[in-house]
Amino acid sequence: MDPVFVWVESSTFSIWTRESTSVFAFPTFLAVHAIGMALVAGMGAAINLRILGVAPGVPLTEMKRFLPFIWAGVWLCAASGAILLVAYPTKAFTNPFFYAKLIFVALGIVQLRVIGSRVLGDASLDMTPVRGRGRLLAVSSLVCWAGAIGTGRFLAYTYIRLLSI
Amino acid sequence: MGDLQLWLVRTLGSVDSVSALMRTSWAWPVCESLHFVGLCLLFGTIGMFDLRLLGLANRVPIAALHRLVPWGVGGYVLNLTTGSMFLLTEPDQYIYNTSFHLKMLFMSLAGLNVAIFYLRVFREVKPVGAGGDVPRAAKFIGAASLFLWIGVMVCGRLLTFYRPYLCDPDPGFLLNCLPYG
Repeated sequence: MDPVFVWVESSTFSIWTRESTSVFAFPTFLAVHAIGMALVAGMGAAINLRILGVAPGVPLTEMKRFLPFIWAGVWLCAASGAILLVAYPTKAFTNPFFYAKLIFVALGIVQLRVIGSRVLGDASLDMTPVRGRGRLLAVSSLVCWAGAIGTGRFLAYTYIRLLSI
Repeated sequence: MGDLQLWLVRTLGSVDSVSALMRTSWAWPVCESLHFVGLCLLFGTIGMFDLRLLGLANRVPIAALHRLVPWGVGGYVLNLTTGSMFLLTEPDQYIYNTSFHLKMLFMSLAGLNVAIFYLRVFREVKPVGAGGDVPRAAKFIGAASLFLWIGVMVCGRLLTFYRPYLCDPDPGFLLNCLPYG
């Protein structure tokens, strides 16, 4: 992988993102990543809490209206995350926390799709308590978003190799 | 101002029990993870409520959605706790940090916004049921809330830009960027 890391890290965009002292470089991408996270994990958690029985008077199918905001958050995170990755590919790809985070995020997104279609899309669950698999999905979704947050945060404090160049 | 800042740094920095705990290995990143979990709870639940005030998902009765708000308050308390722990451990990194000043400003305005919401419009807004619309003042408060909490997050995230922590120049395994080994 080293030649790829070297190639990416020596690109103009990677160097600018990493080394620019402008607030519009690295800090802005971090801020966008955080806002995306708040939309995805935050509103995702709120939907999961509703599935688990908090706020039972909220029609579950109506929670679908918030999904576009969550998906917008997913795209904000993906775009800003990709840029952060271009800045520090070696640091991420040599860090076990990064792979753990990717797994949590992938599982979280798959579960979000299933929750959106199977739980929020099921009119029979609108005002009745959710049981069985729906509850299990909500719990595991909460665990995945918390896991993604924790591993993401630990990424900032750990590395094996910072750069290949 | 300089005297006040110096006094704050000295006073906050004298709480040795918290800083001793925070300087143990991994305590700082663990508290930061909790801080981010708290912000998600806060922004997720309050943000949803704000969007409902603005007219999204209007089949949801206001009072029903308000049942999620205590979870947002829980996130806020978690963040107040963990945030205070950062501040008590490294006061000078915050007291002299422009981004922290702005974050406190956004937090104060957000708090004021919450107070205005509960004191002035909540009684009128709470009974609004499925399909109902809230008064314009409540919509304005909802929009302000979204803007202010996003401001709090952005300033929080920019703290490190004004206070870049240093990594050990000699990389080791998974420890060298920790503020305290």
